[in-house]
Amino acid sequence: MTEKKKPADIPLYSDEDMVEVHADLNHEKHPPTIGFLHAPLVFVFLFGCLIFFCSVQLAETTNKFQLHPPAEKKNQLSPEELVAQKLKRKIDSGEKVFAQNCASCHQLNGEGIPNQFPPLAGSEWVTSDPGLITNIILKGLKGKIIVKGETWGSVPSQAMVAVNINDRQIANVTTYVRQAWGNSASEITEKQVASFRSQSSGQTDQWIGDQLKELFPSGIAD
Amino acid sequence: MKETPEQVIDRSAKIVVSFFVASAGLWLLAAALLAYVAAAKLTDPFFLSSYEFFTYGKIKIAQANAFVYGWGGNSIFAVTLWIIARLSQVEIRGRILLLFSGVIWNMAISFGLLGILDGHMNSHEMLEMPTIVWPALFISYAIFAFLALVIHRSRKNPNTIAPQWFILASLIWFPALFLIAWNGLEINPARGTLPSVLSLWFGQSLIWLWLTPMALGAAYYIIPSIIGKAIDKYYLAIFGFWCIAALAPWSVVHHLEGGPVPMWIPAVGTVMSIAMIFPIAVASTNFHATAFRDIGKVWNNLPLRFVIFGTISYTLSSYIGVIFSLPDVAKLTQFSIINEFHFNQRVYGFFSMIIFGMVYHMLPKITGKEIGKSAKSFHFWTSAFGVLILLLAYLIGGLTHGVLAQQTSLDWSSSVITSVQPYFKITKYAFVILGLSQLVFVINVWKVIFPNPFAALFESDIEKKEKTA
Repeated sequence: MTEKKKPADIPLYSDEDMVEVHADLNHEKHPPTIGFLHAPLVFVFLFGCLIFFCSVQLAETTNKFQLHPPAEKKNQLSPEELVAQKLKRKIDSGEKVFAQNCASCHQLNGEGIPNQFPPLAGSEWVTSDPGLITNIILKGLKGKIIVKGETWGSVPSQAMVAVNINDRQIANVTTYVRQAWGNSASEITEKQVASFRSQSSGQTDQWIGDQLKELFPSGIAD
Repeated sequence: MKETPEQVIDRSAKIVVSFFVASAGLWLLAAALLAYVAAAKLTDPFFLSSYEFFTYGKIKIAQANAFVYGWGGNSIFAVTLWIIARLSQVEIRGRILLLFSGVIWNMAISFGLLGILDGHMNSHEMLEMPTIVWPALFISYAIFAFLALVIHRSRKNPNTIAPQWFILASLIWFPALFLIAWNGLEINPARGTLPSVLSLWFGQSLIWLWLTPMALGAAYYIIPSIIGKAIDKYYLAIFGFWCIAALAPWSVVHHLEGGPVPMWIPAVGTVMSIAMIFPIAVASTNFHATAFRDIGKVWNNLPLRFVIFGTISYTLSSYIGVIFSLPDVAKLTQFSIINEFHFNQRVYGFFSMIIFGMVYHMLPKITGKEIGKSAKSFHFWTSAFGVLILLLAYLIGGLTHGVLAQQTSLDWSSSVITSVQPYFKITKYAFVILGLSQLVFVINVWKVIFPNPFAALFESDIEKKEKTA
């Protein structure tokens, strides 16, 4: 029996010995030897990584064990829808700019204050040439003007000062004003604003209404 | 001279095991012929095209069934009986019943294959034989399995070892798989996607839970037996066994990746087939750490050389299988001839090679006659070469096929088919080589099993002298 305890000594197995040796091996406790720890540790690490990878894979790909695949997202917008969506965002942003910078005088409803600040709703100064409204915001406006048949600005304290906002904000707020309260004028882009800004760089003081009328003759019909 | 107990067992096994090995050989030849016809049809559509029997769809299915049930089934019966009897140290009993079950099994498969060729095919994977033959197959298998279990039950040593676990498990798993699939497909047919999942699950599990444990068990037996040393790191074997039992039936469903089934089915399949790295690593450590202590013996002992070829092929091909189960890879290869690679690496490169080795190991012991060394060697080299060529062609061809088929801009017939066609030609020649190799195997086996009536005429002088002496 001592022979069978040491498998290496047996030259060739009979089947009977093979069963016994292997059955013994199954019951045997393995004493730790030199190097015993390292190899299993590497395997434990590798197999741990494997199980981790498997779990991640399972969580990612099983679709929570649902019967049906997830509904497809409908973000496939047509080009026209994309343009409309962009314009709506622009107008929403412009509304905020208006509320912060303009509404204190012209009011949230765009009607202004009688005898003090002119209305924007239905005003030709707003809805005609893009250059008019843009330049007024860029540099401000003083002196008398006529809006919707009434004369405004007879008192110097009612003059408008330049509004210090960037091109994008100007484009947004002008587009908002030109399309709010029943106005229906074209959109103003950031590029247009930038070109107006460079054209008017020579103007240091506020505009006077007649000055603007000369610059943009198509604007006010009188 | 008094017989050793092992000789008594071998004598009791002689007729039954010889019967199973001989019929397995015939099925192997039939499968080889069908495989050649199927491969030839892929390169030349007009080959045998005027016979309805030889339609590609029928031939291909008949080949797979002849191979798995004819060759695989019969050789499993032979190897199971012999190893179980040897390890239990008891004689084989109920030999008449065993022969009876073998005859029924073979007749049922013959009828089944004729049914397939005649157009009465079932639509379920690896259950394609007509419905009527399955009860006969099941009953004959049940008789065989019962008798094998009786032999095991009366074993001398109550302890069991690795080869016994694997072989007995495969003995029980096959009817279990069959009953589950047959119940869900025929007795109480399921609706919706379940039948297709079940059908694929059975076809793939059959290979993983019937052929694979059988071949692993044979390797676990033959390697220590020939090397003469206990299996290295034997304490891992039990872990490997239960890993296969628990993971394999889950892992096979990864083949449904991208199919019209709930997403979790292929996802679980992928994860489980990645986890199959455990049992594959265990089996390969056990086999190779034991066998490569004595490389000279592996090289010189032909049965062992076959078995080690099989175990190396098992290791490599299983790891390749894990890679192909990853969703990103599967997207490319899913609908290509890479499936042929998976089937052939398992049943040719792994299962059959181990069975060849096992047959060469046990036949001389049973019949008392040696098989010619050069004939065996020829069989080994042609088999190894043929399998290698076949698998490489299917692997590279499958990758080409899969990648090109993804590109919708390519014209199908002019670019995809023409670039895959050379690989089909290679597989055709590989099947010729394999057929030749299997013919040599069958001749080797039959020469040993059936005594040549003309032997006396050709007996050489030396043999005569030996006899008189």
